[in-house]
Amino acid sequence: MNIELILFGAFALLTLLSAGTVIFARSPINSAMALVSTFFFLAGLYVLLWAHTVAVLQVMVYAGAIMVLFLFVIMLLNLGESPTRGRPTLARIVGGAATLGLLVVLGIALSKLPSGPPPSLGVEGQATFGTMATMGQVVFTQWLLPFEAVSLLLLVAMVGAVVVAKSRI
Amino acid sequence: MAAQVVAREAPNRPMVPISYYLLLAAALFCMGMFGVMVRRNALVIFMCVELMLNAANLTFLAFARMHGDSVGHVSAFFVIAVAAAEAAIGLAIVIAVFRSRGSVLVEDIRTMKH
Amino acid sequence: MNLSQFLQTAPVAPDVLAPSLWLIIALPLLGAFICGVFGKMLGRANVNLVACSAVGGAFVLSVLAFWATSDTDPESRRLLSFFVNPFGTERDYVRYALAHDYGTWFAVGDFRVNFGLMVDHLSGTLLLVITGVGFLIHLYSTSYMEHDESYWRYFAYLNLFVAAMLTLVLADNLVLLFVGWEGVGMASYLLIGFWYTDPAKAWAGRKAFVTNRIGDFAFLIATFLMVLLVGAFTEQANERDYTMANSSSQRYSAALQEKGTVTFLGLQKMAEAIPEGGGGAVMLSTPIAAGPLEGYTFGGVMTAAMLLFLLGAAGKSAQLPLYVWLPDAMAGPTPVSALIHAATMVTAGVYLFSRMSALLVLSPTAMATVAIIGALTSLLAALIAFAQDDIKKVLAYSTVSQLGIMFMGVGMGVFWAAVLHLVTHAFFKACLFLGAGSVMHGNGDETDIKKLGGLRHEMKWTWGTFFVATLAITGIIPLSGFFSKDAIFHGVHHNHLEGLHWVSSVVYYLGLLIAACTAFYMTRVYLLTFEGQRSKEAKLAHAHESAWQMTLPLVVLAVLSVVSAVYAWPLMKAPGDGRPQPVFENFLSPVFASMNRIVATGKTVALDTSVPAMGDYVFAWLVAVSGGALAGFLYLRFFPARAGQPAPAFARAVRRTAQNKFYVDELYELAIIRPVKFMSFILFRVVDALLIDTVAVRGTAWVTARVGSALRYVQSGDAQAYAAVMALALLGGVAYALIQVLQ
Repeated sequence: MNIELILFGAFALLTLLSAGTVIFARSPINSAMALVSTFFFLAGLYVLLWAHTVAVLQVMVYAGAIMVLFLFVIMLLNLGESPTRGRPTLARIVGGAATLGLLVVLGIALSKLPSGPPPSLGVEGQATFGTMATMGQVVFTQWLLPFEAVSLLLLVAMVGAVVVAKSRI
Repeated sequence: MAAQVVAREAPNRPMVPISYYLLLAAALFCMGMFGVMVRRNALVIFMCVELMLNAANLTFLAFARMHGDSVGHVSAFFVIAVAAAEAAIGLAIVIAVFRSRGSVLVEDIRTMKH
Repeated sequence: MNLSQFLQTAPVAPDVLAPSLWLIIALPLLGAFICGVFGKMLGRANVNLVACSAVGGAFVLSVLAFWATSDTDPESRRLLSFFVNPFGTERDYVRYALAHDYGTWFAVGDFRVNFGLMVDHLSGTLLLVITGVGFLIHLYSTSYMEHDESYWRYFAYLNLFVAAMLTLVLADNLVLLFVGWEGVGMASYLLIGFWYTDPAKAWAGRKAFVTNRIGDFAFLIATFLMVLLVGAFTEQANERDYTMANSSSQRYSAALQEKGTVTFLGLQKMAEAIPEGGGGAVMLSTPIAAGPLEGYTFGGVMTAAMLLFLLGAAGKSAQLPLYVWLPDAMAGPTPVSALIHAATMVTAGVYLFSRMSALLVLSPTAMATVAIIGALTSLLAALIAFAQDDIKKVLAYSTVSQLGIMFMGVGMGVFWAAVLHLVTHAFFKACLFLGAGSVMHGNGDETDIKKLGGLRHEMKWTWGTFFVATLAITGIIPLSGFFSKDAIFHGVHHNHLEGLHWVSSVVYYLGLLIAACTAFYMTRVYLLTFEGQRSKEAKLAHAHESAWQMTLPLVVLAVLSVVSAVYAWPLMKAPGDGRPQPVFENFLSPVFASMNRIVATGKTVALDTSVPAMGDYVFAWLVAVSGGALAGFLYLRFFPARAGQPAPAFARAVRRTAQNKFYVDELYELAIIRPVKFMSFILFRVVDALLIDTVAVRGTAWVTARVGSALRYVQSGDAQAYAAVMALALLGGVAYALIQVLQ
């Protein structure tokens, strides 16, 4: 056994456990906290994939910013546990079943993949792969236009959020 | 500098197959989707959508690792940015809906009816 | 410095001017834009100023361009205005011309069209006529339209027309020419229907447009034929063909690639390579080897194309069978009739054939058709003009008739005389129309000559200029109309088409008849309008003379219709043998050089270059005078003496037929319009109303509505139900993909 495999197993297990908590917790606040931990474990997995920068972004943006927003909203709306469980409607049963079916199908598909380890990145690759410098290089040259578009999107979202949340529908 | 890199590389070759990551991502995606399908609380549904987005990110990164190509990272980066925008708008809508209807349960929000 | 040296030293050098040729078109276009968009804001005076200065500016540029076409170095007497013909060898120069290519308009496969403009002596002459007469008519219009509310719309259309006409003349290829061709058609439509609130006038505009469309369609087909012909020519021609045309296959195909497929220079080169007797691989009788025209000969396709161009030209230039729109076009304001339906647009057909003279002379059949169509149109229109009482209608039929004479000249190979007649006709007919406009303006818009009369004393300027122009058109020595018309008749008489010798005499004698008729009806109009006593049915008790803006153009045009006679005088020496040669023929010889070379090798036409003798002049003069004298006798002595009595039977019969325009409109109604209407009615009922409207359009709507109301029940508004459907679809899609991959 090597340390990478052990770490992967641990993170994977914890990710799935936290995700399960997200979807099954009665209280939204519990879901949110479980989601935060999911993000942290995912960040760990990202590191295992040599995606340092994205891992850092994951923690900062997702676990930091987005989840704080969620928690604010939960507290603002003062949502407690819902008093009753919802009736299992037809749509929910069908949707749940379809999702499980999808899991099975995807499982079969992915189990057919060759399971050898990925190619080594090499000395040069390890020094540069997934670093801020490499990503910056790509984002500001090849993907400059999408990058600017995203910044515009964020601006629009910000203004939109203010407008929507302020006025009454 | 070079010596350091060699030291990091030397002891062991990568052990975890990419397909494990993909399987994990599939499982995560299906869990998120399951949540979207069965939960009633719009906020929790939102969180489940975030789970699905993260599953997609994981796939991107796994493939980036497989090909040794940074484009996957850039995609993940964009996904995070879009998720932030989506969360901002989505939560604003939840607030607005809560104000007008006093509930965030999807079964109480059926204005898209014919 | 003597006169000829002065005329040959241009103030702006050709190579400096050529890149700015587009301004000649752009100025009136800009004027149209300003008048059309901001005209109402600018007010009447500003619109007048903008419109006139746009055309005036174009006139100045045209003068410069025209001047530059003859630019010669004063020291060495070497010609400066020439350029290397891209379709010929490196030493093949196009002389007395300037051209500029503004790049590709569009290119589809091998077919390319460039924005290329060219000025040579032919288009230069027309530039001057269009902008010069155009400017005078703009000036005239400022007074004529002074009481009209839509003055800005009028000037916008008029400027637009000038821009389109200039495009037509400046274009160096058929497609760009067609842009101008359509542009003038549209401007003409807009101006004929200018007072669109009157349904009859709007209808006249539509009639002109539809009739023109028929011709334009033929024009397009002919253009396509030319494209195919050029393609077949480049496939089949050998070096000998190219040598004949002073070109090489390499240069020719490179120029086709670079300059476009249907440029006039390229078509000219092809025409020079085709005639029999050169010994090349492509001759008139050579069958085309491949492509859509496989099996037809080059000569046959050329004839077909020329006949189609004739139909196109007949539409624009009001020839049989498409002349019917022009008399109705008089519904527009009178200056419009003067500019568009007398001086410029209707001569586009003559210009087209002169521009493509090299191609036309390859086909004696087509030439004979052009000449005969011209002669018949001219005679028919002259006869109809006998009995028209509307002064503008008479002038309109007279225009048709004069255009017919130009077509006779073109058809018999006297291109220079046809173009000269185009120019002189532009002067005196514009003068006549503007005079008629002045008469209407001063008499409360009265157009019936029976209700005018005696204006000689009340409208002195109008009378004087109208008199001069009448003398010019009837062909009285020494006015311009006599010489240009006589030059055409002389050429018609002495030129012979290969294998069709009878055409020459037939057309010539018809021409004499036409000359007499012209004199008759013009004298009639003049006498009834200006001489005698003022009619008792006149609208106003006293006519008033028009403002200087209207009389000044009249005077200028009258002077021009006198002095332009100079161009027909044999004052020059022919380049080869030193025979006397008319000034205008000498002037246009660079333009028709290619045509003359083809005639020399191909022998399709026998061109005579002699100048008329004194006896010919006297004979032609007598013909004109006899027609005029007859009219004078009838309207000064015969009818006034019998006032109160019914007219004699012969006069009534002639009058009835002529007044009904020989029932041509009725014939068209019966033979063409009724069947088309019937077909249209069937199509409307069955295809449009039943199939398209009921089945296709409403049927689709009905089915959609039914399906929609059935599907309404699926829309529960439950977002999770929608999500479940999506999940199912996703599952299905992924499972299907998996099964496909596993198999």
